[in-house]
Amino acid sequence: MLEFAISAPLETGAELLSDEVSANFPWLSLSILFPIVGAFLVPFIPDEGEGKQVRWFALGIALVTFLITVAAYLYGYDPSLSGLQLSERVSWLPDLGLTWAVGADGISMPLILLTSFITALAVLAAWPVTFKPKLFFFLILAMDGGQIAVFAVQDMLLFFLAWELELLPVYLLLAIWGGKKRQYAATKFIIYTAGSSLFILLVALAMGFFGGGTPNFEYTNLAQQSFGTGFQLLCYAGLLIAFGVKLPIVPLHTWLPDAHGEATAPVHMLLAGILLKMGGYALMRFNAQLLPEAHAQFAPLLIVLGVVNIIYAALTSFAQRNLKRKIAYSSISHMGFVLIGIGSFSALGTSGAMLQMISHGLIGASLFFLVGATYDRTHTLQLDEMGGVGQKMRIMFALWTVCALASLALPGMSGFVSELMVFVGFATDEAYTLTFRIVIAGLAAIGVILTPIYLLSMLREIFFGKENDQLVSHTNLVDAEPREVYIISCLLVPIIGIGLYPRLVTDSYTASIQALVKRDELAMQRIKKPSALMIRNTTMTPAVISSPRLPISQTRSEQLTRK
Amino acid sequence: MTSAADLAWLIPVFPLLGAIATGLGLISFNRTINRLRKPVAVLLLTSLGAAAVLSYAVLAEQLAGGEPVEHLFVWASAGSFILPMGYVIDPLGAVMLALVTTIALLVMIYSHGYMAHDKGYVRFFTYLALFSSSMLGLIISPNLLEIYVFWELVGMCSYLLVGFWYDRDGAAHAAQKAFVVNRVGDFGLLLGILGLFWATGSFDFNGIANGLSDAIASGTVPGWAAVTLCLLVFMGPMAKSAQFPLHVWLPDAMEGPTPISALIHAATMVAAGVFLVARLEPLYSQFPLVGLVIAVIGTITCFLGASIALTQMDLKKGLAYSTVSQLGYMMLAMGCGAPVAGMFHLVTHAFFKAMLFLGSGSVIHSMEDVVGHEPILAQDMRLMGGLRQKMPITAITFLIGCIAISGIPPLAGFWSKDEILGQAFTTFPLLWVVGFLTAGMTAFYMFRLYFLTFEGPFRGNDKALQTKLLAAAGKGSEDEHPHQAGVLHESPWSMTLPLAILAVPSMLIGLLGTPWNSRFAGLLNPEEALEMAATFSWSEFLPLAGASVAISTAGISLAVLAYALHRLDLEELLANRFPAINTFLANKWYLDDINEKIFVRGSRKLAREVLEVDAKVVDGVVNLTGLLTLGSGEGLKYFETGRAQFYALIVFGGVIALVVLFGVLGSPVS
Repeated sequence: MLEFAISAPLETGAELLSDEVSANFPWLSLSILFPIVGAFLVPFIPDEGEGKQVRWFALGIALVTFLITVAAYLYGYDPSLSGLQLSERVSWLPDLGLTWAVGADGISMPLILLTSFITALAVLAAWPVTFKPKLFFFLILAMDGGQIAVFAVQDMLLFFLAWELELLPVYLLLAIWGGKKRQYAATKFIIYTAGSSLFILLVALAMGFFGGGTPNFEYTNLAQQSFGTGFQLLCYAGLLIAFGVKLPIVPLHTWLPDAHGEATAPVHMLLAGILLKMGGYALMRFNAQLLPEAHAQFAPLLIVLGVVNIIYAALTSFAQRNLKRKIAYSSISHMGFVLIGIGSFSALGTSGAMLQMISHGLIGASLFFLVGATYDRTHTLQLDEMGGVGQKMRIMFALWTVCALASLALPGMSGFVSELMVFVGFATDEAYTLTFRIVIAGLAAIGVILTPIYLLSMLREIFFGKENDQLVSHTNLVDAEPREVYIISCLLVPIIGIGLYPRLVTDSYTASIQALVKRDELAMQRIKKPSALMIRNTTMTPAVISSPRLPISQTRSEQLTRK
Repeated sequence: MTSAADLAWLIPVFPLLGAIATGLGLISFNRTINRLRKPVAVLLLTSLGAAAVLSYAVLAEQLAGGEPVEHLFVWASAGSFILPMGYVIDPLGAVMLALVTTIALLVMIYSHGYMAHDKGYVRFFTYLALFSSSMLGLIISPNLLEIYVFWELVGMCSYLLVGFWYDRDGAAHAAQKAFVVNRVGDFGLLLGILGLFWATGSFDFNGIANGLSDAIASGTVPGWAAVTLCLLVFMGPMAKSAQFPLHVWLPDAMEGPTPISALIHAATMVAAGVFLVARLEPLYSQFPLVGLVIAVIGTITCFLGASIALTQMDLKKGLAYSTVSQLGYMMLAMGCGAPVAGMFHLVTHAFFKAMLFLGSGSVIHSMEDVVGHEPILAQDMRLMGGLRQKMPITAITFLIGCIAISGIPPLAGFWSKDEILGQAFTTFPLLWVVGFLTAGMTAFYMFRLYFLTFEGPFRGNDKALQTKLLAAAGKGSEDEHPHQAGVLHESPWSMTLPLAILAVPSMLIGLLGTPWNSRFAGLLNPEEALEMAATFSWSEFLPLAGASVAISTAGISLAVLAYALHRLDLEELLANRFPAINTFLANKWYLDDINEKIFVRGSRKLAREVLEVDAKVVDGVVNLTGLLTLGSGEGLKYFETGRAQFYALIVFGGVIALVVLFGVLGSPVS
């Protein structure tokens, strides 16, 4: 019973926890609170109901927030450190153990930047919103702060609060501005996410009260606790469900096509660009970082689920006839690479997972924005009712083509780099047996074939061929306006930039990812009984990539000597 | 002093900059840029011209015995993983650079005439520059991963260019097919690269080759695994270089504009597969089994392409299958362990096949004035004939190309093809037989194309035949827009000039590779050249060369008899007697049908079924849960009676039940 709950303290754990660097200026608190305060000012903006003033105000707030996060990165963040930086700590409710603790390391900093960037673009994308503009921009700005908080807070209870708070704006944005089935989609979304986030609360409480005494939910504190393996496994399973819904992991994904299918374009950009990343981020932060021993046991499952995601969602996407749902499923497919990367036990693979989140944040946002822009013109999302649109909308066609190519991981764009990193990281990773690696790499590579099939056939059905007379006679197919071109260009610049020189981004988080993977590898060595799935080698040699023949021969010779 | 090779990174960068400039212009100021045809053409021609000049300088340096140059920088790193990128210049690369820039430049000049009436003139030039840039980047890639990057990029350019006329359904399908089939090959290539990296820890060519032989020697990588990895990597070249069974995309890709067929789908991109195999020669030469597989696939492709070309009535498709067949020859050479011979054929073929395609473009351009822009009519040889009188330059250059590809000395094709056949004769005699027979077929179908197109009476004004052809293609004649029946004419100078220029190397370049003094081999592999010259004997060379000239002559004679002199009626003689063979060939060995039935429909069906499962089962469970909660809530509300005794009774019942339960199961705290 005791062994189940408590394990010997990590002897090597202490050295892995790097020192915290306190913030010289409360950058992160500012970036969280500024948009929220801005949101509460929205009702007082004089406006005739058309939303003209409000949207400029919202754009200003979102841009300033973006600048604050950029400034935080430039002036308070050192990419070469692996530990927590920019950290601030204010005791909030000491009796509950609740502290306002924010900070950023390599895992959260890029996502904070991504959030403020995508939100600013989403506000620009929301220019045509004229229905209840005040409420709309209020919600968007509130969400901005909430999402930055999700990535920045360093206290698990606070994390739960931020996670829940962020649901409400999404629910309202879906339920008020959504499509025809918006009520159904919004309800499904809220039940799914709220229900699953119960597990976060449960786990947070269990972990916070662990060991008795005053509860303490701070990550740094939790990372030092010596949770027993059984306890870790239970917590891990609970969190996996909670974050699996968000990521999403098949079969917990069915809220996503509905929610994405009904959302308007700016909400859509936020959903795909940021919300899905919360799942991946939380998996890294909690499952991989705080529960390393359970992670060692669960990692093969993550990888298998990742492959299922890739293939299953790619196939469903291929069969979808609704444009939005097609892209929504393609998001699920791309998230599979994040899972494989997280489960890979290699710095390269986990780095790739991180890059895949950033890259999909950009590419997904651009594709969903284009879907919205196309819908504004065609007034239909059914592929059967489109066709030959490319003759009237040439620039739109060009933008679609570029974004679709980015999504199918064309080299020179970010998606390729991240998928490649996951592939190489996983394939050269000695933590798994060769057979398992061959099977998984082979199956995941099938995704490489399936992705162009559904994306290119989608392009063909929308743009190629003869003009659809029905469509042309009923709609006004004007070409892309400068605002739309501008939004897509803003997204394409980092996409292509990362594709050409990935170190632009990877350098900002490698140190943290390496520390994370190191911790997981040590935890794996501590496990006496290897995973029941017989997937892993009994001996664990670190993957030395510069001379990889060595570890194989070592493993072999060790096996031989054992015999 | 910096050598030209140190500046070689500029070669792909020049056209890239041009492409980016016009591409951004097209997106931002579409109308204005579309009107600036001349400036755009001049800009892109200059950038490509600069690349060409630099390439010649690089080639001259290599010819003068310059050392290979390699420059690398760290592109990505994570943990102990470091991935360098950069560029490498060696004789093989230098030859390809000069070849690609030359042909790209000529094709661009040609396009100025060919695309003169097209709305997408500027877009076309942009794509051309983009393609040239990616192709040049591929050539100077120092490792497999960088090759993969550019490999995909040339594939993308091919996709964009095949689908250039995107209002045509055929083009849309062909573009998608090309990309997807190539992705199937890339699937293998990617896995192979990953596997080789796992086995050797290296991405660069020599590192892989040495690492793999070490790994096999030390027993860490079993031999079968090494062979599997090599074959996986070979899937990439199979798709790109249109080898059986992944060749299906190439004939369809002829939906693109003809200059593209010449540049991408005949001279350069499809040769990238052969080029990659040549680059991997240090790796492949370790495994005779891999060589055998490559040779067999090459031979099958070679025969298949030629046999289908026999019955093609579409001028461009005929040339496309001929390309497939010639690529098969190159692969055969690679499989025989003779990369120099394969590369030599690549070079000669690039010149004469580009010329043939550009010639066919010139024909189609002229035919379009008579029969309209419907490709089914404009490319069908049944409507051509007698074009030599109207377009002499096109006819003469086309004839030169036919002689060159048929292997009549001293034109280019003879030397390169004969070298391949000679190698095959010593390595795989059985495959030599097939290659030898194919040479005869090649001569026959090429002259068939020539005679049907350029000799005899002109048949283009036959309205009944046009309607019949349209009907056969499943297109009603009701959308036949009346066009003024123009007259046939020779193409403008911008189109004939490249033809004339290409005719020169088509005739003469073979002389660089004569077996007794092969300058070409001397550049790529000096030892092999010396060995070739040393072991060369007329008594060995003459019988083989004589035999292949003889079979080519036989093929040509048959074509002359059948299509020029009309002494033989092949339809009656063969087609009617062996209808099975004829339909088999006319249906392209039924490979497209098999493909359609198994893969296309199969994957669609699978996808639909998965979607069904997703909607009905996975989502069904969710909705069912929702329903159950609703239902249970509805049911439970009848228990809320408001009477305290009733609640107490329920609580009491619950406690009893719990006690009983734990009594049966035992205590929870043990």
